[in-house]
Amino acid sequence: MIHETGRFLWDERLLTRAENRFRTKALMPKATRKDRSSLAEFLPLGEGHYRDLKRRQIFRLLITYLVPLLVLIIYFTFQYSQLASEGRRTHLTEVAENQANTLNLFLSERLANLRNLINNPVFPEHLTSEILDYYLEDLTRVSAAFVDLGFFDESGVQAFYSGPFHALVNREYGNEAWFKKLIGQEEDFVITDIYLGFRQEPHFTIAVKKPIEGKYSILRATLAPQKIYDYMRSPEEATEVSVSIVNRDGYYQLVTPHIGTLLDTSSIVPPLEPRYGAQEVRLGGAALDYGYSWLRLADWALIVQRVDQPGMGLLWGVNRSFLVLSSSLIILFAVAIYFRAGKLVELEMKADRTKAQLEHASKLASVGELAAGIAHEINNPLAIINEEAGLMKDLMSSEFGEPSPPEELVTHLDVIEHAVFRCRDITHKLLGFVRKSHVELRPHNVAELVDGVIDGLLGREFAVSDIEIVRRYDPRLPDVPTDANQLEQVLLNIFNNAVDALEGRPGRIEITVSRRGKSVAIAITDNGKGMTQEQLGKMFLPFYTTKDVGRGTGLGLSVSHGIVEDLGGEIEVESQLNQGSTFTIVLPIL
Amino acid sequence: MSEGIRVLIVDDEVDFLNSIAKRLELRDFDVTKASRGVEAIEAARTGGFDLALLDLKMPGIDGEEVLEILKQEHKYLEVIILTGHGSIDSAVECTKLGAFGYLSKPYELDRLLEVLKEAYEARLTKKYADDQERLSQIMAATEELSAESILKKFRQHMVEHPTPLSVLKALRRLDDDEK
Repeated sequence: MIHETGRFLWDERLLTRAENRFRTKALMPKATRKDRSSLAEFLPLGEGHYRDLKRRQIFRLLITYLVPLLVLIIYFTFQYSQLASEGRRTHLTEVAENQANTLNLFLSERLANLRNLINNPVFPEHLTSEILDYYLEDLTRVSAAFVDLGFFDESGVQAFYSGPFHALVNREYGNEAWFKKLIGQEEDFVITDIYLGFRQEPHFTIAVKKPIEGKYSILRATLAPQKIYDYMRSPEEATEVSVSIVNRDGYYQLVTPHIGTLLDTSSIVPPLEPRYGAQEVRLGGAALDYGYSWLRLADWALIVQRVDQPGMGLLWGVNRSFLVLSSSLIILFAVAIYFRAGKLVELEMKADRTKAQLEHASKLASVGELAAGIAHEINNPLAIINEEAGLMKDLMSSEFGEPSPPEELVTHLDVIEHAVFRCRDITHKLLGFVRKSHVELRPHNVAELVDGVIDGLLGREFAVSDIEIVRRYDPRLPDVPTDANQLEQVLLNIFNNAVDALEGRPGRIEITVSRRGKSVAIAITDNGKGMTQEQLGKMFLPFYTTKDVGRGTGLGLSVSHGIVEDLGGEIEVESQLNQGSTFTIVLPIL
Repeated sequence: MSEGIRVLIVDDEVDFLNSIAKRLELRDFDVTKASRGVEAIEAARTGGFDLALLDLKMPGIDGEEVLEILKQEHKYLEVIILTGHGSIDSAVECTKLGAFGYLSKPYELDRLLEVLKEAYEARLTKKYADDQERLSQIMAATEELSAESILKKFRQHMVEHPTPLSVLKALRRLDDDEK
């Protein structure tokens, strides 16, 4: 087919693959084996190009849509967890304070119980074991936490005791830490940590002292911590939070069994200052928030922590639904982008095909124009042949006098021959114009090709003329994939025009071969007669010529233009009347 | 048969110009050659041609322009177009501009000769019709006058417009009137 170009024929396999792809994609459902060549024609770029394009499109769209989305998701997650943890801490602090208040109240009530008791005038002279029993009974009625009650003199001997551990009567407590502290301090009471003591049972004591006649009397009650726990813990809160108490040294004073063991070291030791608040502690790699509040009356801190696992719970639940939502959004976007990119590439492909079809159509049009031009152009030499032949007939017939001598006939035969050659020139140029399916691209050094034309094909002509040839070649020219024969034809046409533009006068033709971005530019400049605006506009039209009859067919530039286009390049022309013209052939390297 | 018919041939193809001129000369045409439009226009001003053969595609002033100018300047000159680039459009255009014939190259000489003959006859007919018109005007103007003054006027007219045909016509008319 005359309109097939080299680019289309580059890689038949590629085109076949591309075509198969289209068929499966039902883009061209009517394609049959017979249509192969027409399909190939209309797809100047292979499948790989569109696959790349699609990949790039997807990447670009992902960047554009997903990155902002991800940033937003991360930002909101961060903000939300900040807020949530703030709220959770506030909540824990509140619970801790509440519980601490309750405990404070409990302790101060128990303290008040003992203070009231010691102010009883029965102390110390009239005290008897029975009276103490009676008092203990009274106290246990007020609070079940009371276990026993003891009265001490200043030396630390438990003079009277009421309670289950009778062995404790008359026991010496003078060296016990709580006793020394109570005697030594100004405050009139002491609340001990929970300890096992002589009786080997967890308990804590509240002791009050009262100076009577210069001597301290001391009343001490022992309380069971379990009772405190029952007292403090409301059922509702127990499901959400667990409450424990540690002393200043970090031992559990009171603890839910699943968190720790009584009197063991607690993993959580709240700071002394501030007196209450919320903290984060890392336990086994996980972050855990807890609320705490130091008690007023004892060196105990109340610690509240969530019952559920660290990192789980309310926040985790909300986070999870948020994550599900955002990841489905991302997937949705990704899928949409995938299809969108496919659609875009499909459109691009359609556009490319339309463009290729247009090119094809315009090529056909120019071929039609050309054929019409040829037909007309050949008419002129044909008319000459016709006339000359007729004239010779006339000359040889007797109708117009004596037949002419053979010598005269020879001159007419020469004219006929000349006209025949003109016809041949026209048909050859026509073949040159349409013979485009044989483009064969191989890497060539353009400068060498130019030299070949100047020194080889035109060498003799330049040698005898007054034309100065100036060559300026970039020494680091890359090879250009091109068809040497075709490019030589173009160069020859342009050189011939340059020579003609000099009109036989001495002149200069300058050839510059240089790199221009991803192309190589061959600029041919003459200082001849130049062109008018009208000539510039028409010079690539077939059969447009400014030369005398028989000297030019008007096809040279038209053919050159077609060839260079097929080589993937273009011809640029600059011209100034009476100054000269520059023709620049730009050929892509890739 | 075509003796003395004066033909101007205009074509930028010199080979063609020479051979057609030669062939027409052999057939007793009185031929003048011009290879450019300007040349043709100038030649027509001095030559007094009966017919012109005109090429369309020429450097400089093209055929259509030449045709327009020739028809403007020479009322009875008949122009025949000879072109290698014949088309319906250009034929219509040339006819509008007053071309008598339109032949595409290459053509048969007999056909050209035929057209030339027709063109020459057309030229004569047109000229004859115009002359007659003018004569009848004169006759109308002189109807009222005496024979003597008619004769006088006639002589005067003859002096001013000396064409053989009109003389004959006028004489015959006078003859008829006398009867």
